[in-house]
Amino acid sequence: MPKTRFSLWDIFPAAGTILLALLLFLLFLPAKTPADRVEIYQNGTLLETLPLTRDASYEIEGSYKNTVTVKDGKVAVTESSCPGGDCKASGWLTSSGSIVCLPNGAEIRVVSQSPDVDIVLR
Amino acid sequence: MTRTKKLSLCAVFTALALGLSYAERFIPLQLVIPLPGIKLGLANVVTLAALYRFGKGYAFGILTARCLLGSVFGGLSSLAFSLVGGLLALGVMCLGTKSKRLSVYGISVLGAAFHNIGQILTAAAVLGSWYVAAYLPWLLLVSVITGFFIGALTAGVLRLLPGEVQA
Repeated sequence: MPKTRFSLWDIFPAAGTILLALLLFLLFLPAKTPADRVEIYQNGTLLETLPLTRDASYEIEGSYKNTVTVKDGKVAVTESSCPGGDCKASGWLTSSGSIVCLPNGAEIRVVSQSPDVDIVLR
Repeated sequence: MTRTKKLSLCAVFTALALGLSYAERFIPLQLVIPLPGIKLGLANVVTLAALYRFGKGYAFGILTARCLLGSVFGGLSSLAFSLVGGLLALGVMCLGTKSKRLSVYGISVLGAAFHNIGQILTAAAVLGSWYVAAYLPWLLLVSVITGFFIGALTAGVLRLLPGEVQA
């Protein structure tokens, strides 16, 4: 017979999930150095690197079309023909992190000065 | 139960799951939790109910059929995401039901968490970078809330479903 009443043991999966979230959060803590570049990837290949300091715009082609806009030290996907529009909904990014358009395999990554380090594992 | 009745029940469950996964696009969850890409996971009510009432073989069949049929609307790129997320979640939920202590609430949270893990793994494979995993902590925190919510819904459904709806 299935248990349909909440039991105290159900706290464990929830606590485990929260713990995993906290661990991953620490693992991907943004670097201390300020972000200064935008890297645009598609399916794992680097298409373009743009400085955050100069206003610019870049079109990602592919199954869909994403327009990446750099403005006032911020970056966003301002136009997209993909069905979900999650990349547009991600809004403007100023510090380390990334905006992703999965249907187009595109990733817009804001990175800091050290160009040879992607993430720091501790 | 006759094979025909079992087959019809599975068809009804698949149709329900398909309908629910389509309908939840219109629930503006982003207004409450402003994270792109999050959803309630209503179709998991069907997977969980099938797992409890029909067993893991049927739950697997219903889930796979739902993902394949859903890709007719969502496209092939979404198929990989729903299949990897769904199957990983189902696998972990099967293990969860082996535990005599966990209720449907805890198992639903496990399913929600591993669904997100599966989807991020697929995203990492598609994008060819581990960087997307930086988004996983947020998804995991939300999955605790949505997991409990879906668990509560499933508990209600299991109580209300007639006893004869069983394999």
